[in-house]
Amino acid sequence: MIHIKNLSFHYKKNTPLFQDFSLDVDNGRIVGLLGKNGAGKSTLLNLIAGLSQPKEGSMEVNGFTPFDRNPNFLADIYMVPEEFSFPSISISCYVKAFSPLYPQFDQKKLNGILTEFELQLSSNLNKLSHGQRKKFLIAFALSSNCKMLVFDEPTNGLDIPSKSMFRKILVSSVTDEQLVIISTHQVKDIDTIIDKVLVIDNGTMIYQENIDAISQKLYFDTVTTLAGVDNVFYHEQCPMGYKIIIPATNGNESNIDLELLFNAIINKSF
Amino acid sequence: MNSNKFFSFSRFYLLLRNDILLNRQKYLLTIAGAFIFGFVFLYMQMPKVERLDNQIPAFNGSRYVSVFALFLIGLGWFIATSFSELGDKVKTSNYLLMPASTFEKFLSQFVIRVVIGTSLLLVIFWADAHLARTVALSQIEGPNHEPASANVSKYIAEFHYSMFLVKHTNNNEPTYWRLAEGMALISFIFSIGMYLFSKKLFHKKNGFGKSRIISIVIIFSILFLMPDSNWFSEFNSFISNNIERQLQNGYTNIDIWRFSIAYFAPLFLIPFGYFKLKEKQL
Repeated sequence: MIHIKNLSFHYKKNTPLFQDFSLDVDNGRIVGLLGKNGAGKSTLLNLIAGLSQPKEGSMEVNGFTPFDRNPNFLADIYMVPEEFSFPSISISCYVKAFSPLYPQFDQKKLNGILTEFELQLSSNLNKLSHGQRKKFLIAFALSSNCKMLVFDEPTNGLDIPSKSMFRKILVSSVTDEQLVIISTHQVKDIDTIIDKVLVIDNGTMIYQENIDAISQKLYFDTVTTLAGVDNVFYHEQCPMGYKIIIPATNGNESNIDLELLFNAIINKSF
Repeated sequence: MNSNKFFSFSRFYLLLRNDILLNRQKYLLTIAGAFIFGFVFLYMQMPKVERLDNQIPAFNGSRYVSVFALFLIGLGWFIATSFSELGDKVKTSNYLLMPASTFEKFLSQFVIRVVIGTSLLLVIFWADAHLARTVALSQIEGPNHEPASANVSKYIAEFHYSMFLVKHTNNNEPTYWRLAEGMALISFIFSIGMYLFSKKLFHKKNGFGKSRIISIVIIFSILFLMPDSNWFSEFNSFISNNIERQLQNGYTNIDIWRFSIAYFAPLFLIPFGYFKLKEKQL
């Protein structure tokens, strides 16, 4: 659970990144955190994980103030960063060193995920490719069973089968007790697994909506021409004509095109 | 998991275990390197030819002290590798997110680098000194390659740490360190160790330059605070002529001032380092 109220944060005094920022998210969700480069996504993740201290406002994650770095808070949050570095040891040694620090760690779950990702426990972490190391971190994060899982660009560096494997494993292993936040630019990689969308721009939350609510409000379609189409919120040209967002009517639902939605939000189309 | 947010033995044990599992190869190589270096260096310093005109022992406590000083520099280097993760943004993030309290993280580094590091240094130096002496004595011979005399075992003094209680001054007359003086020296060495231990916590920006400047300041402070040092002879003679007063306990008021600085310096460095770690941000 995340509860942020009137948060302010800046790196340089005269250039605030977040001002009067508020956010509430309950557990049992997979949340997609979207935004342009420099919008403040990674900073928000750092604040949530307790790696940075808010200048003003209150912040509570799983009942703790993150920057206190209470060990019980840290034992229940796992962050998969965009960039990572490992010591030159085997996967099994890494697991032996770190897994006891996470009380809910599930070794069987890890073995299962590693098998699906085709990773060997005996492999040296520094001899694996970037994508393989990222798969290991994802496997470790999911096996930690932490209440809060934070993924920063989790699909960067993954090949196509691994991306679909990531989606499958994530959906099957996350419980209602957990909250998963995925920050990414690769919106297509996560559009089928998230159940809430957050969009931030210049340190401001410009959009937050559940996927169900979006489906009920908006209809995503592709048309050959815009002629005769009323109430178009947003459109983009594509090889087949136009991708459009229009109001959902008569209970009609469509697959959400997250990229189109993101562009519409950034262009302030609604 | 223990709910205590400051210290839990189980978490602390896991943190130590984590460090040793991740760095065991580095630690083993360091121990082996220190042992081999110490043995070779001591052995090379020890005489191989018995010269009956020389004073006995030819290799005495002061010779051991000079090699031990090199060991202390090596220990300083080892201690300076504390919090090595904090030099890199990605590793800093991993380190700060490890499920342990700031106190446990600080203490685990202190135990491994300072407590265990110093203990191992003392054991390795002791073993090196005895091994080098045994090997050197077995090879020693007279000036004309004749067998060494029966008295040869006294030619290289047997090492024991009580040798360090003797102060070797410029006039080569051994005297014992006075208690307050010796404690001040140990405290000074500890202060340097504490600075090296926590320097990664103090300097986020321009750390390399800042730590070099502070190291130079510390070295000059030591030279200044050593009563027998010739480095600040003019200043010292000004002090002794104008300010210094002999006290009843055999020390001067300047000695007391110097000792006070030596004793209190670590008291500031340790908590300062702890709070820097507690407030560390990405």
